Amino acid sequence: MSARYGMVIDLDRCTGCGSCMIACAAENNVPSLPQATARTGLTPMLVRKVSNGGEGTARREAFIPIMCMHCEHDTPCVKVCPQQAVEVDKATGIVMQMPQRCLGCRYCMTACPYHARYFNWWDPSWPAGMEKSLNPGVASRMRGVVEKCNLCHARLHSAMQKAAAAGKREIDLADYVPACVEACPTGAITFGNLADKNDPAAQEAHSPDTFRLLARIGTEPKVYYKSKEAWVRALAESPSGTASEVQHG
Amino acid sequence: MKVTRRDLLVWSAGTAAGLLVTPVPWKLLDDTSIWSQNWPWIPQPARGPVEVKLSACTLCPNGCGMKVKMAAGWPVGVAGVSSHPVSRGALCPLGFGAHQLNWHPQRLRAVRRGVNASSWNEARTAFAKACSEGPVVVIDGYPGRAASSVLQSFAQQHNGEYRVVVGPEARALSTYEAWSGVPASALGYDLEHAQTIVSFGAPLLDGWGSPGRFTRLWAERAAGANDPQLRIIQVESSLSRTAGRAWRWVPLRTGAEFALASGLARVLLEEHLASARGPMPQLALADAATQTGLTVEAIRELARTMVVRTPAVAIASDDNPAVAALNVVLGSVGTRGGIVRRSQPAEAYVRADAAISSARAVLIDSSVPWDFTPRSDAEVFRFAAWDGGSKRGDWLLPSPGFLEELTDVPTAPTSAFETYAVAPALVKAPCEVQSAAQFLSSIDPTLATAEKTIHSRCEDLFRGRAGTLRGQEETPVAKLASAQKLEEQLSLGAVWVGEAPRTGALRCEVKEWPTAFSSAHPESWSTTWPAPVLPPLATKLYRESSLREAPEKRNA
Repeated sequence: MSARYGMVIDLDRCTGCGSCMIACAAENNVPSLPQATARTGLTPMLVRKVSNGGEGTARREAFIPIMCMHCEHDTPCVKVCPQQAVEVDKATGIVMQMPQRCLGCRYCMTACPYHARYFNWWDPSWPAGMEKSLNPGVASRMRGVVEKCNLCHARLHSAMQKAAAAGKREIDLADYVPACVEACPTGAITFGNLADKNDPAAQEAHSPDTFRLLARIGTEPKVYYKSKEAWVRALAESPSGTASEVQHG
Repeated sequence: MKVTRRDLLVWSAGTAAGLLVTPVPWKLLDDTSIWSQNWPWIPQPARGPVEVKLSACTLCPNGCGMKVKMAAGWPVGVAGVSSHPVSRGALCPLGFGAHQLNWHPQRLRAVRRGVNASSWNEARTAFAKACSEGPVVVIDGYPGRAASSVLQSFAQQHNGEYRVVVGPEARALSTYEAWSGVPASALGYDLEHAQTIVSFGAPLLDGWGSPGRFTRLWAERAAGANDPQLRIIQVESSLSRTAGRAWRWVPLRTGAEFALASGLARVLLEEHLASARGPMPQLALADAATQTGLTVEAIRELARTMVVRTPAVAIASDDNPAVAALNVVLGSVGTRGGIVRRSQPAEAYVRADAAISSARAVLIDSSVPWDFTPRSDAEVFRFAAWDGGSKRGDWLLPSPGFLEELTDVPTAPTSAFETYAVAPALVKAPCEVQSAAQFLSSIDPTLATAEKTIHSRCEDLFRGRAGTLRGQEETPVAKLASAQKLEEQLSLGAVWVGEAPRTGALRCEVKEWPTAFSSAHPESWSTTWPAPVLPPLATKLYRESSLREAPEKRNA
């Protein structure tokens, strides 16, 4: 049976600490380049600060982690890619990006309604010796291609190898936890198989106060959000309305 | 057929135009692009056996439990240890990039005196000469370690002085030391049993204490609930991360925390809202309202709210004595859910922020935050793993970096119960390094080394038969076979956890309400981060996103 990996992020528990961003970058060998800026940097997981627009004591703020939403239906990046460098993995539901096929046209970045894709402008580099700290499960990033969250695919591979070594066809979900989920100090992210009704993530995805960004466009993202704050839920249909982040280009 | 020059030109132009409609040039362009994307000199991850080792983060005194993923003998990733009794699986954002710090371009790789290159021999000779000429002050930023006992012993045996630099969380407890006689290093917050927490600007959800301890507690008992089990009231002038997530945010004028704490204590005493007694603040309620920008009624209402759900405790962001006195009035000192005394005895330390007089030399351990500058004209021997820029003509001595030395991890400053862990050396240093303790041991070989001290501490714990060892399973120390077994388990990532705090073992006597105090504005980043540099990946937070402000004081 094919899985549908996804997550539910409880925004009322997100403190905007940024642990998920750094853990993601460390896991995926994303370099920290001196020339990278908010427009040109590579942040497969990006926490955006949003507010209700109020002033003084009426002001409220929240943090929304944005990454690839792993759209299930009419996946915009898949539809526009001229190289077949993006595909939805039928076995997992993960939207996969193949950098070796990507020619860097950036159509997918334009098509992505969530601004969750990043162009890699530079060859990866690290200060002398720091390359020893690279994660061996992940290749270093390629220049000139588009990058995005792949739900820590290297961790999925490890879990699959472990399952295969034990003679199992299905992985133990405890072995497959993306870096951002593992890093969250408040446990705000529930990750799991949305196709399994008994999975806590699947149950939470259908709980009250849960929503998806830009649900009206029908892309069926596999990243769900949750908040009891009405103004936060209202942002779901216009996420850039009061966000203070710069859009990536 | 004669081929003219014109025919040749036409053929060439036609070929060039024709090629454009074939895949050849585009394929060549693509191949060139892919080839140039994979230059042999582009760094690739090392191949080798991957293993996970358990340790603890020693970059600040909170000692969070850490899983270190090692490949080919080098750390390639870190994560929290969910079974850790204090950090509970969490790390601060900086901790997740800490494994790259050892290769930071600002890594201190050689002994320096000011801007001039020097050597370990010259440094040893100069320090030994200074010791023979006058008293030496040794400054530690992470007291309680085995290495700290080496520093302390050296100071005692050489007619010197041992002082400590403590973070704001530990400073906030120092007022109780003056009132109770119990060392601040023996005090902690029993937050797990509190029902109301009034924070006076303490960044509870942004790096206060051990990051995981409070964030996990908040997530379990308060997050997203309209009527949470744990009420957090954040008193702060701006909408900080904690204020935005608190049950209630009380905005007040900057620096008016003292006035508000005084006003709240006055209401508690006047309306007999709290069981404990204390001195009446001199500040009238109307004056407190004027200073804070709140109304008198708002202060009264806040005081009443504080005691609806008890135990309630107030937490200051610094050593504001009015907040400490408010806790005395609330009856939150020495009681469950308040300020508690840990079960083991602890030492009182002299703080290093006072002026140092008549010292011949000052030795600063690498655990002391780089921003700290001793108030002294003495010759300074500073140990550091990273160079934040030369200060005066100080000696700069390269010390072990992240996970490069064996060290022990004593109780975190705000913890309600004792813990003890060991962080083994997992990584080789890229240059010749020495910790301050090793340096002093080389000058005075009679000192017990940090390794021996850890060994003897494990024997003491074993002989005490108290507490439990928490690793993959929980084992009472009394059931362990030997001290060696205890030390072995600690080296493999287990944590010794002491007994519950003793309520009633702490009594504070406050005769007069404290005099005025001005609170410092809390920093955007953790103030206990000792290094002058941040992990390179921290730029994701402030340069590649607008999540945080760029750290102005640091040389990241």
